[in-house]
Amino acid sequence: MISSPLLYCIVYPALCGVLLLVVGNRIKWLREFLLVLASGINGYMAWALFQKSGESVAVALPWAGFGLDFTLRLQHFGGFILLAGAGFGVLISLYSAVFMREHRHANQFYAYFLFSLAQTNGVALADNLVMLLFFWESLLVTLFGMIAIGREDAWKTAVKALVLVGISDVCMMVGMALVGSLRGTLSLNVLTQQGVALDGLGGLAFILLVLGAVSKAGAIPFHTWIPDAAEDAPLPFMALVPAALEKLLGIYFLARICLDIFKLPSAPDNWACHFLMILGAVTILIAVMMALIQKDYKRLLAYHAISQVGYMILGIGTAVYAGIIGGIFHMLNHALYKSCLFLSGGSVERQAGTTDLKKLGGLKAQMPLTFICFAVAAASISGVPPFNGFYSKELVYDGALSRHVLYYVAAVLGSFLTAASFLKLGHAVYFGKLAEENKKVKEAPAAMLIPMIVIAGLCVLFGPWNELPLKTFIYPILEKAGVEYHTCHGPIPHQMMLVAGTLIALVLAALNHRYGVKRTGVGVGASEHIHHAPVLGWFYDKAEKRWFDPYEVGMKVLRGGSYALFYLDRFICWLSDGLAAGLTYLASAIIRWSHNGSCSRYVLWALAGAAILIWYVMKSA
Amino acid sequence: MKEAMNLPNQLILLPLLAVVVVNLPLGLRWAAMLGGVFFSIYQMWTMVFLPPLETGFFDLQIDGLSRVLLLSIGLVAFVSILAARGTIRDKRERFYFYNLVLLAMVGMNGLVMVRDLFSLYVFIEITSVASFILIALRRELDGLEGAFKYLIMSAVATAMMLSAVALLLLATGETSFAKVAEQMRLGGSGLPVLAAGLFVAGLLIKAGSVPFHGWLPDAYMAAPNAASILLGGIVTKTTGVYALIRLMQDGMFGTGMSPVLLLAGAVSIVAGALAALGQRDFKRMLAYSSISQVGYIVLSLGTGTALGVVGAVFHLFNHAVFKSLLFVNATAVEDRAGTRDMNQLGGLAARMPVTGFASVVALLSTAGVPPLAGFWSKLVIIVALYKSGHPVYAAVAVLASLLTLAYFLSMQRRVFFGKLREGLEGVKEAGWYVLVPTLALTLITMGVGVLIPWMFGSFVLPMEKF
Amino acid sequence: MTINLIIMLFMVAAALWAVLARTLLKGSIALAIASAALALLIFRMNGPLAAVFELSVCAGLITVIFISTISLVQPFTPQEVAARYAARFKRFWPLLVLLAVVTVICLKCWTFPACGQALPESADVMALTRDLLWKARQMDLFGQVVMLLAGVFGVVILFKEENPS
Repeated sequence: MISSPLLYCIVYPALCGVLLLVVGNRIKWLREFLLVLASGINGYMAWALFQKSGESVAVALPWAGFGLDFTLRLQHFGGFILLAGAGFGVLISLYSAVFMREHRHANQFYAYFLFSLAQTNGVALADNLVMLLFFWESLLVTLFGMIAIGREDAWKTAVKALVLVGISDVCMMVGMALVGSLRGTLSLNVLTQQGVALDGLGGLAFILLVLGAVSKAGAIPFHTWIPDAAEDAPLPFMALVPAALEKLLGIYFLARICLDIFKLPSAPDNWACHFLMILGAVTILIAVMMALIQKDYKRLLAYHAISQVGYMILGIGTAVYAGIIGGIFHMLNHALYKSCLFLSGGSVERQAGTTDLKKLGGLKAQMPLTFICFAVAAASISGVPPFNGFYSKELVYDGALSRHVLYYVAAVLGSFLTAASFLKLGHAVYFGKLAEENKKVKEAPAAMLIPMIVIAGLCVLFGPWNELPLKTFIYPILEKAGVEYHTCHGPIPHQMMLVAGTLIALVLAALNHRYGVKRTGVGVGASEHIHHAPVLGWFYDKAEKRWFDPYEVGMKVLRGGSYALFYLDRFICWLSDGLAAGLTYLASAIIRWSHNGSCSRYVLWALAGAAILIWYVMKSA
Repeated sequence: MKEAMNLPNQLILLPLLAVVVVNLPLGLRWAAMLGGVFFSIYQMWTMVFLPPLETGFFDLQIDGLSRVLLLSIGLVAFVSILAARGTIRDKRERFYFYNLVLLAMVGMNGLVMVRDLFSLYVFIEITSVASFILIALRRELDGLEGAFKYLIMSAVATAMMLSAVALLLLATGETSFAKVAEQMRLGGSGLPVLAAGLFVAGLLIKAGSVPFHGWLPDAYMAAPNAASILLGGIVTKTTGVYALIRLMQDGMFGTGMSPVLLLAGAVSIVAGALAALGQRDFKRMLAYSSISQVGYIVLSLGTGTALGVVGAVFHLFNHAVFKSLLFVNATAVEDRAGTRDMNQLGGLAARMPVTGFASVVALLSTAGVPPLAGFWSKLVIIVALYKSGHPVYAAVAVLASLLTLAYFLSMQRRVFFGKLREGLEGVKEAGWYVLVPTLALTLITMGVGVLIPWMFGSFVLPMEKF
Repeated sequence: MTINLIIMLFMVAAALWAVLARTLLKGSIALAIASAALALLIFRMNGPLAAVFELSVCAGLITVIFISTISLVQPFTPQEVAARYAARFKRFWPLLVLLAVVTVICLKCWTFPACGQALPESADVMALTRDLLWKARQMDLFGQVVMLLAGVFGVVILFKEENPS
């Protein structure tokens, strides 16, 4: 069984990555060729495996003992993730091959790219929780590497990402250990069969595992590295890792936790569902509020990458079939449109040399294809019918409304703000006045356009024809998890009331945009009236100063702590080296000074001592 | 005749005989050193392989405590004689030195074997007189000054002890330990308590415990180096501390003395160590260190328990070994470098590796660093203090070890470590007469420490089985 | 009783003088007086045994101190003598204070035991002392001999003429 295809699709990209590291930067075309070839073969393998995912294929190798077996198991959901990840790998590798060509660490980036693919495959296929954790954690390494080779000071962001994701991974590790000790096994397959109750330690394990999973997907509170990485890391990294792979993996594992291990749909009214839904709603709102006021193309997208995770968590957390289907479908859609958006941002960055919204504008004529791709993806993320995001969001709304109207309101409010911020973004970049220095900007090269066009095409395709992904990928997941569901595909959504709500939100967003633009006169200022609103302004101000960033706050606390420890250390040093030694030497000097060599003084001491001694003895006798 | 020459009698008669023989006009002056060396080796030998015990003249007896002391006396006398051979250049002075050491041995051997208060006093005086002369041997001003201070303070002690003996005689009509103790148990207050107080005060002067210690630094510092070894290693320990242990052990004082001894011990430990910290003179520092270490012994004795006595005796033995070793090192340094001022020394470990190493061993043993001998005796003392309900004193004993380490490390750094000071390039390692004792004492310090599991059962614990 | 007390106070005074005296010579004389007074006191308190030894031992010791002191001290210059004479009372007032303190302590604290019943009145004190010395206390006699031997060494070593060579 060593030569199983399951092993191949983990080992092969990793080996290619090592090869790329060996090849180095000398032969330029070879690196790009290798990258695209390896991603392509990886994509093919994933496709081939997905075909087999109906059958249960498994590899089990004895490994470390104590139940820590090297077990890979291909099941439907994993196969779907495998295929999606590999697909993005192919497209983005093509894009990177152009975008990263001139980068001084291009071969490292390509190698990390392939490592990431291998690790993603590993996570999707792992059956043993420890194996899963192994691949999950090793993604952290490539994450660190890919951020660190970005801008000059990118290593700071890389450390931040490492710390934040590392902390959430530790939570997950503890959660896995708890589950393992509760059930006596670490095999996902066995755990799926047995299930874990949500009381006591099981509940704690649930919270810890969920924290680990959603943090990988980028939900608050461990999200703050993503906007920083958007500015510092190479752009294809953003399109690949936070936009696509991490969403896939995080939501994949979240769904496995909720559907398979803890079986939330069987009892949808417990606290765990509300925990998830609140987490999702809060993530949507806070991140989108932050996105709204951003003045940088990539940073704005990064906040949306966080915000959209909220919909997926909310959807899965509803524990009703519409919500779950919507959540998983939204994961796929999000991976599509967000990569497309990041890729369009990359094109603008490459051609215009900046992503600062204040310096951009009027690029519609210069880069028409990029603009069209952006428009499709933006409409999709805003939930404009008939693009794919609209359908998945409608499903999530359906699920949320069936649980509580507040969740629905939060989701729709999120939609409103999303639409508002993308109107602002599109207006600022592609409409308005063309800046003087952007007169000579040309359309991006074909190798970069192709992935964008393909992804934008998928966004359109998965809209009215959502039957294809739903039937192929998502219904079987619910079947496997034993959740009852009704089919909900088709070009016309089932709940027309919800569609009306969405449309109202979109219209309001457009009106809001008009108001904002009128007020300031430029597209980039469309959200200024919200930015500087009475109460919100204060919060925005503090958020921009990173008051709410757990990493920055934690670092400040740690720095304060280390100063305190430093001064404590100095103080103790002073006590021991200064005060104690000083007193000792003072006492020593006094004693020395009192021994002046006078015999009579010594005799008097002795006599006084003897007198006291005798007095004491006589008294006590 | 055979009976007259049993072991206790030999131990006081043989050295006396040696002194008499070499001083008769027979041309045997050269034999003085040999006599001293052989006798001290013989004494150690008999103490290690102890023959069946016999009672000598006038009730001389050897028991466990005496045995340890006799062994220490033989060892230190041996070391002192060899060091004198190596460092005293004048032949006549050396001859007198051997004679005086032998006389001091008569005094000390008798002192640890007698069982009578007045005899105890007489032998203390013999030892003291020999010591006065040893200190003043070179007839230099500071030597005479040191001897004079010792003499004056000893006279005070003598007056106290004699008064005590007289008072006890008055109260009990006896002077032998056993009978006095018996009388004391029957009804001890008033005169006997006064006598006990006087006697203890006198002994503390002899032992050099704070505040009775004024004579000690001057005497140790001013004495010829070889004499310092004898004084610091054993003389004050037998004349003062041993007598204290013996009298405590025989129940001469009752329990009323414990708090006094504890306090005197603790004050000695701290004050001695603090004073040692500020010294420039190598030997003066060692003298204050002796005060501090005597404090440990007195402190241990103050517990009044069997374990405390074991700790006291064990530490007494260890102190005899490591303090002699340190004085031997000081002797070697002064002999080779020509000065004892630690500020004018430095880097000697490179020139005198054996002495430097021995010094490290001795100071670590003194400071109580495992696994050297000093650690174990300090451990016993601290355990005894703790078990007898004196945790504060135990803490003092532990913390004072830090001070001990501080002043000794300062010494080691100033004398042996660091860069070789200018003018000391020609210094050579000490001669064999100094190195042999150095090595012997180093081995004993390490051996007793390492072999403690065996030593503890066969050597340390039997000390208190009287 | 009163005589004992007087002797004792005298002894204490002598001892204190020994401590406070500036010159070694006077100090050793004072010490000799103190030990003589002690011997007398012990003798009067029916301890002839102890008294004899105190006297003999201390006499031996004091001799050594005496000789060594004499050999050490330098004669004073007239100026020094005058200065000392002028300051003599200043130096001795602590003596008086100490003496007073000791007197008070003696009178307040000590109850002297009734003396005199230890020995019968008719006993020949001298004969008793002789018996004690030669019969009961041989060991101490031996010790005395050794001590004297050591004292002889001291005198030989400390007061011998310097070798011309």
